Amino acid sequence: MRSDRQLPGADRRVQLMATCLCDAFYADTARATVEVLEHLGCRVEFPEAQTCCGQPAFNGGDWTASRRVVRHAVRAFSGDLPVVVPSASCAAMLFHGALLGFEREPDLPAVQQLGRRTWELADFIVNALGVRTWPGRCESRLAFHRSCHARGTETGPAALTLLSSIAGARVVPVGEAEQCCGFGGTFSVAFPNVSTGMGAVKLDHIRAARPDILVAVDMSCMMHLGGLAEKEGRPIKTQHLAQVLRDALNRGGPR
Amino acid sequence: MSDSREQILSRVRAALAPLPRRAPLPDWEPALVALRGQRADADPWALFAERLKAVNGTPLTSVAELAALLEAEGWRHGYCDPQLWPSLREAFPASFIVETEFDRTRIDDYQFGITAATGAIAETGTLILSDRDTSRRLGALAPWVHIATLRREQIFADLSAAVAALPADPNVIWVTGPSKTADVEGILIEGVHGPGLQIALLVDR
Amino acid sequence: MAGQPIDQFAARLPADKRAAVYLGTKTTHEKRTQLLFDQFADPDRLRRLAGEIKQHVLENLDTYLTQAEAQLKAHGAQVHWAATAEEACGAVLRIMQARGATKMVKAKTMVSEEIGLAPFLERHGIEALETDLGEFIVQIDRDHPSHLVRPIIHKNRREIAQSFEREGLGAYNDDPETITRRARQYLRHKYMAANVGLTGANFVSAESGRIVVVTNEGNSRFSLAATKCHIVLVGIEKLVPRDRDLGLFLNLLARSATAQALTVYTEFISGPKLPSQPDGPEEMHVIFVDNNRTGVLASDCREILRCIRCGACLNVCPVYRQVSGHAYRSVYPGPLGAVLSPLLAGGHFAEKADLPKASSLCGACNEVCPVDIPLPDLLLRLRDKGKRAHASLAAAGTPPMGAWAILASTPGAWKLALAAGRILNVLPLGLIPIPALRAWVGKRAVPAWRGGEFRKWMRDRRKP
Repeated sequence: MRSDRQLPGADRRVQLMATCLCDAFYADTARATVEVLEHLGCRVEFPEAQTCCGQPAFNGGDWTASRRVVRHAVRAFSGDLPVVVPSASCAAMLFHGALLGFEREPDLPAVQQLGRRTWELADFIVNALGVRTWPGRCESRLAFHRSCHARGTETGPAALTLLSSIAGARVVPVGEAEQCCGFGGTFSVAFPNVSTGMGAVKLDHIRAARPDILVAVDMSCMMHLGGLAEKEGRPIKTQHLAQVLRDALNRGGPR
Repeated sequence: MSDSREQILSRVRAALAPLPRRAPLPDWEPALVALRGQRADADPWALFAERLKAVNGTPLTSVAELAALLEAEGWRHGYCDPQLWPSLREAFPASFIVETEFDRTRIDDYQFGITAATGAIAETGTLILSDRDTSRRLGALAPWVHIATLRREQIFADLSAAVAALPADPNVIWVTGPSKTADVEGILIEGVHGPGLQIALLVDR
Repeated sequence: MAGQPIDQFAARLPADKRAAVYLGTKTTHEKRTQLLFDQFADPDRLRRLAGEIKQHVLENLDTYLTQAEAQLKAHGAQVHWAATAEEACGAVLRIMQARGATKMVKAKTMVSEEIGLAPFLERHGIEALETDLGEFIVQIDRDHPSHLVRPIIHKNRREIAQSFEREGLGAYNDDPETITRRARQYLRHKYMAANVGLTGANFVSAESGRIVVVTNEGNSRFSLAATKCHIVLVGIEKLVPRDRDLGLFLNLLARSATAQALTVYTEFISGPKLPSQPDGPEEMHVIFVDNNRTGVLASDCREILRCIRCGACLNVCPVYRQVSGHAYRSVYPGPLGAVLSPLLAGGHFAEKADLPKASSLCGACNEVCPVDIPLPDLLLRLRDKGKRAHASLAAAGTPPMGAWAILASTPGAWKLALAAGRILNVLPLGLIPIPALRAWVGKRAVPAWRGGEFRKWMRDRRKP
């Protein structure tokens, strides 16, 4: 549990990091994130200069390239507002990975400052805003995929707290839930056989649980699992936690 | 070769020299590794025997029981520590051949070996052997059946107590059940190089 | 296009081998987790404590090594130091030649694999027989172990039965019990005929000099009962500070490795046999092996030297389960090997620089490590090192990130790319000559490109 995290102020102003994947592909996840945060009384600012957290290059080993992108993120998110991001891996990049990459850099303190302000969405809702029950309805069997970068953080328990609290929702257990889906960033294209082998095992377990929706806190895992399932002609419905929460609100009537 | 010693140690020192400070040695209490759900049993033998059975060992409380078990399996030829034999021989039928010397040119002759344990650990069902108390290392190891004689007061409650009381002996062995392997397809087979049957015989004073 | 060797190995791995490895590792992992959480109130606290103790040892290694050496000598053991694999092999050979010994029985020790001991001794006319059942089978097959603890996890009973028949150990019989009994009968006479027994060491207590060896089969015990000379091969990092710390490590080791509270035999050896004991070694030699561990100690990945070789990281690793141990081309496979093997390679780092890439960085390995090694961080550091060394094996298959970094730090260019990317919705993606895209498209559908849509929505909302 990170003890150095910065809480929101009374005015609940936050900066939203949409993530590069949502910027390119998953616009609805980013929209749902804004709607969920606004429902909770947050004023969401979207720094237009933002691009990416620098994780793809970092995990690939090109730390020079990664540092360039992280420096840009530090500039784009300047200030001292909490930065909320609908991605456990992007959050982990900013509060852990970047610190490794900047160990010997003079601007490490600026990177640390951004890291201290960064919150994954579910963690923010439950632990920064103190919200543990979610209004609305969801009449679905939900399989929750706790992405690997949420390991050792509060994100998994927070997401499950929220999902289980929705009226009508049934969170179904998935076998070997701890095992990685196989995405791993550039790993997915550098090791395509291993990556899809891992994805196939994960899909078998998910299908055995017969969910209506596969829910995640990281669209990268969904892009991989959803992409595999679709390619083999047996698509599964995937949603980000933010979309499930938003949809539950909308089904609950006017708020 | 003492060059290698100096080379290695100086490389170690050079590797560590840049560290601003060295990681301290944390203090810790044995209570930290206490197992959950441990019963404070009055009788250490009772707990030890239960745990020994859980690892497929065989606790026995009388020499007669031992002799009967050996006879039922047709194991009548064995080795026994000469210091133990006088107190055990009465219970063994005359048909048994029990040698008090171990002939290493005939290891396959001995179907069982009886030696004295140095101690035991109740929480794991472990017997403790040592050079001082084991008359012949081979006698405790080569036969299919090993019997270790044990007294109640030799039993430690847990692993930490047994570590704290490690004797000044060059060869202390903790024995937890019969020898085994799962190398072939993960299937558990007992009796590999060590005994296939591990017996603890309680011998009260 | 040359891809990653480990990925290609995985593609060629027969399905039954993958299934054997998957089942073996998953079963042990699940039992390990159940046991630790059933028996201890806070197993993660124990792992972190053990990690701190090991880190302390590493950062004070010179002190502990000299202390251990003094203790061993005081108890009658002879201590040798081997800076390289060649020196270690040479030290073993000299000890054997001084005794006129030609037959050795050896217990399982990964250090002996590292230094290539058995083939070296055989070249000098010495029989060096593996006695651990799995390693014995590896030896007669001229194979390599594929797992730290379960060396033949990749073999089935039929293959073993054929090997036994080929070696004259009996007519074909693939019953596991029969196989085991045959090995027992064959090896017990080899122990009796051998002059020297060689073991590794799971731990060395610096306080007392006690060498701790843990086994289930009783092979090291037999070699220490039957032979007259004991040689211990041990890496310099295998120390613990005090006997009492063994109470923690022994509680963690077997549970982590094989889901047992303790292995069948835990031996504490502090010198040659007592004079009153007829059986056992009259001579004991301990060879401390460096073989570039000092290089690892000097690096920013020194935490890997905490490793106690339990194999828990292999058992949980989803990549190891897909590829199996031989894919790593090294003595040490799996997450441990992905860090240690390139580092031990020293100047040959580039030849193993692809190993740290064979990971999705899921972090499961660190979660199970009994000494809390931050494996994902170490893998990342080695990826950085591989990139800076321009190691081509490491680079294969990874898209170059330089242009990406420029794009992602130039907001104007980024927004243009978001708009331009819509073309991906109409182009046949499999034909676009970008290797990473082709690798993706070959196996997975690509989601619809929606670049710019969210930003427009955000802007529109702010309009009055």
